[in-house]
Amino acid sequence: MNRYLYDGTPEGLLSAAALIIAEEKEPETITLAERENTLFEEGLFIATDVAAAEAFFQRLRREAPDAASIFYYFVLAEKEGLDTSLLHYLFLALRQGDRVNGHLTHSAVRDVVMVSRKASRELHRFKGMLRFEKLRDGAYLARMEPDCNILQPLAGHFSRRLRAEDWFIYDVRRRIAARWHQGKLQFGSIEQFVAPALSDEEKKVQALWLTFFRTIAIPDRKNPRLQKSNMPMKYWKYLTEKQGV
Amino acid sequence: METLEKLQILSGAARYDASCASSGSRRQDASCGTGNTSQGGICHSWSDDGRCISLLKILLSNDCIYDCAYCVNRATNPVPRASFSAREVVELTMEFYRRNYIEGLFLSSAVMQSPDHTMERMVGVAELLRTEERFGGYIHLKIIPGSSSALVRKAGLYADRISVNIELPSQESLRRLAPQKHKQAILEPMSLIGRQIQESMLERKASRHAPRFAPAGQSTQMIIGASPESDLQILRLSEGLYRKMHLKRVYYSAFVPVNADNRLPVLASPPLLREHRLYQADWLLRFYGFSAGEILSDDAPNLDETFDPKTSWALRHPEFFPVEINRADYGTLLRVPGIGVTSARRIVAARRFSVITPEGLKRIGVVMKRAKYFITCSGRPFEKTGRQPELLRSRLLIGDGAGESIPEPPPKQLSLPGLFA
Ligand code: SF4
Repeated sequence: MNRYLYDGTPEGLLSAAALIIAEEKEPETITLAERENTLFEEGLFIATDVAAAEAFFQRLRREAPDAASIFYYFVLAEKEGLDTSLLHYLFLALRQGDRVNGHLTHSAVRDVVMVSRKASRELHRFKGMLRFEKLRDGAYLARMEPDCNILQPLAGHFSRRLRAEDWFIYDVRRRIAARWHQGKLQFGSIEQFVAPALSDEEKKVQALWLTFFRTIAIPDRKNPRLQKSNMPMKYWKYLTEKQGV
Repeated sequence: METLEKLQILSGAARYDASCASSGSRRQDASCGTGNTSQGGICHSWSDDGRCISLLKILLSNDCIYDCAYCVNRATNPVPRASFSAREVVELTMEFYRRNYIEGLFLSSAVMQSPDHTMERMVGVAELLRTEERFGGYIHLKIIPGSSSALVRKAGLYADRISVNIELPSQESLRRLAPQKHKQAILEPMSLIGRQIQESMLERKASRHAPRFAPAGQSTQMIIGASPESDLQILRLSEGLYRKMHLKRVYYSAFVPVNADNRLPVLASPPLLREHRLYQADWLLRFYGFSAGEILSDDAPNLDETFDPKTSWALRHPEFFPVEINRADYGTLLRVPGIGVTSARRIVAARRFSVITPEGLKRIGVVMKRAKYFITCSGRPFEKTGRQPELLRSRLLIGDGAGESIPEPPPKQLSLPGLFA
């Protein structure tokens, strides 16, 4: 049997990878896929073993720290159908260490590295393009709809940056939120989101920002194409300076 | 006057300042203040001209006693004048920062009353931010030429980056166009800053608790096209600033005529392409191991408009090519048009596993558009232009939209100004 199945969770993925790499003679010939529970599905199901997943990830962090972080971002990208590539990538990473990440001529390595880069790029973008609004109770709220599931590392970034404030970051599509309150970071899901009232001064500060945004552009050098390629329109929805455009 | 109106005047006056970089500094407060700076540099928005917005870039005042020929704010121009109070700037910075509009503040100013008077007020803003607001974000202060060394030192203790504008590429031009600014008043603070940065780095090696002095380094800016210097003169100057004064960045700003003045050249439009070419040549100086003398010569002292400086160097040096992808060292790869720092690194990394095939080159993301004329893969060329320079020139021109491709910048330079088509 050279086809395995797992339950679709990151832990399941790691458990499966751990088992296959330990037991199989030629992991590079194995395929791995998410179980779909159809009647004639082929393949041996590997049950999720959280402890094994954890141990495997720790080993990866020791032996190939960059690959561990690439794996982390790969998971955030929520990209489906690349399980086999990921399995082969992890196998190579444990054999070759972080050198593997230069092996971009290998298609599995390339697939994983590229998908992972997509998530880390989006995270970087949101560090800049997330916008907070001040609420009536003095806390700040930011809403966003990123392609990748970047809430956790993004909230980590702002917990180092906006330490003195209370704030929320809400991922509208995934209905999950991070909350920074009295120096502690918490995550949770929000079933029903009701937009809270803004503080009285909020509109005034937004008007100041809009004024700055408009005046800082050099009038003779308008370049909407460049603006859109740097700041794709799909991200404009929550950008204070792009409201009502 | 309302803050909003002042903001309009004083950010409008700062818009031509080319420097918008906020990278290269990491500031992390142990306690509970607001803000840190990020090593990579973060763009928060892109204005309608496509430039990265990362800092609140404003003048403290545009009420100037000097009369530089090229400047809108010169004393003899009838423009609306405004000055912020220190409080106003602090409030704006904090409110913008908390909403994640900006990485921090970039404060410059016209000369009010005297250089020291102005500098003192600017330093005052930085001091309030750091001590009262415990602001940990990015601060860039412009040094007013002629301000006292005590104030320059103080500025460096509060700011991440400080800079003195060199303004014009030669002393002669400075005398003609900015008669109240003296070469010494510019160079003295520059070398003082350079010395302080070096000293603080040494002290911090000895003790982690020694104070930081402008941890993101020193930069400068000059205006291009308001005076007659050649590109070679300009690049030599930059080369000296990088190698001898240890500057982090030199910014070039295309001259935009705002005043009628018979000391100034009459231009049909701002020399944007020239500015763009100078930035490209500047990359070659800083990251690609080129010297000013290689990029230009006394016979051809100006950059080619048609091709980017690297392609034009390659066209003048057919003996250097083709470069063999599977053997050439990193420095040689970097000299291939179309291969940037990222691609060269990827090639070197991928070679360790196997011989790179043409297919493989594309797979690791090397853009072949221009590179293909200059490389071989295991001895095989990609394009048979052979040794016919004329054919090569025309291929590069017709097939591939001229030289209008920008050398791949390293990822941290997201805030590179001057990328307009
Ligand atoms: S000192 Fe500065 S603000 Fe004043 S005229 Fe000269 S360039 Fe303009």
